[in-house]
Formats: sequence, structure tokens, C-alpha cells
Amino acid sequence: MNIEVSDYNGKKIIILSGEVDMYSSPLLREKLLDLIKRKVPILIVDFKGVSYIDSSGIATFVEGLKGMKSYGGRLQFFGLPRGIMEIFSFSKLDRVFEIYGNIDDAINS
Amino acid sequence: MKDAVVITVPSHPKYLSMVRAATVNMGKLYGMEDPVTEDIKLAVDEACSNVIKHAYRGDTSKKIVIKYKNMQNGLAVIIEDSGIKANLKSIKGRDLDDVRPGGLGIHFIKRVFDVFKFDEKKKEGNRLILIKYREKG
Repeated sequence: MNIEVSDYNGKKIIILSGEVDMYSSPLLREKLLDLIKRKVPILIVDFKGVSYIDSSGIATFVEGLKGMKSYGGRLQFFGLPRGIMEIFSFSKLDRVFEIYGNIDDAINS
Repeated sequence: MKDAVVITVPSHPKYLSMVRAATVNMGKLYGMEDPVTEDIKLAVDEACSNVIKHAYRGDTSKKIVIKYKNMQNGLAVIIEDSGIKANLKSIKGRDLDDVRPGGLGIHFIKRVFDVFKFDEKKKEGNRLILIKYREKG
């Protein structure tokens, strides 16, 4: 798994790639919670390069979402590959997370 | 000769990627459809993660033994550990409408496997038996 944090039109973006599993998710959690601690108002996650996610990766994002909601922040996803979207749908989390097709849709929402 | 493959991995999360690769290869070799193999990969990963978390309580110095068995009508994956016995009554995922971190792994396992059972004859540790039947074409 690789994580890059960058700015796009004044918004924070996490560009995530590779496999998110029990081994790699603690690093994702650390980065995510660091941004949440700084009360980033909108955090966008680019999933285009993610080839795999397990329940520990999903749990990390659920924790992140709860943290952001506590101060009125928004956590947005875009570019989820089909297999990963299916996992979110099966878990009924597609109704909980803000999921967009591309970065412009996320930014303009 | 029995058509089966056994792999043994240390109980460290860094080896889960190896388990996933082996699972995909075995699924293909034993004639499972690609989308099903992907679901099996996630399920076996979740089952091994559970062994590390619950049976071994995070101890990375133990072993996980995974057996892939080609059955006439499907694929069996048998996962063994020497850790703390699973409490069968407490093994259930969270209600999917109750959104909170955790509790999804068991849903991912039961989503794909037709059989999910612990071998109660195993005296020490756990033997989880997972079976996916082949689709009748």
C-alpha cells in the first residue's frame, strides 16, 4: 500500500494505492487520524489505485468518518474499482460514505 | 493421491499477502470462477486475520496452517491454529445497519462460503472448515 497526501484546490486528498489489509491499515489509520486531529474540513480519498481492501481497511475509514463527523467534516471517496465498490455495497456502507465517480464530482458536491 | 495443497505461514499480518496470492492460485487451479475466487481470497484473508487477532491475540510467532482441497463438487479451505479456542456463541458479525468499525470479517467469509464450521473434534486450537461448492454449469 502507498499513501500520498496532497492538496487540490485547497482541499486535502489522500491518494491511496495497492492493497489495504491488516498489515497496512495501521499506517492508513495514522495518516487519517493525523488529518482529523487537525480538523481538516473536507478530506477526499482517491481509490483509483486500490487493488484490495479488507475489513480492517474499511474499519479504519468508518473510524475516520466518525471522527470527521464529530466536528462537521466531510470524508469523500472517488474512483472506487468495481470489486471494492461491491464490498462497500455489501456492507451497506455505500449509504454511509459519500462516494463519487470522479474528483470533480466530489469537489463540486 | 489426494488433490490438496497445504501451506504454513507465520501468524504475522505481513504474510497475509502471501495467503491471498496462494488462495487466488488455488482457486484458479481448482476451477473456481474468477469473481468467486476474488471473494474467496477476501474470506480466507479475513479468517487468517481473525486467527492472528483472536486465537493468537496478536502473537506473531505462531503458525497458521491452510489446506486447500479440491473436492468433486467444490473447494475446501481448512484453516488451523494452535491458539485460544473460538467461542462459537460470540462469533457473529455486527448488524450491517449498525455502522461502527469492525465486525465485518465474518460477513465476508459467510458471503462466499457455503459451509462455515469449526471442527469440534479438535482438542487444542481451532480448525475452521470452509467449503465453496462449484456452480453447476
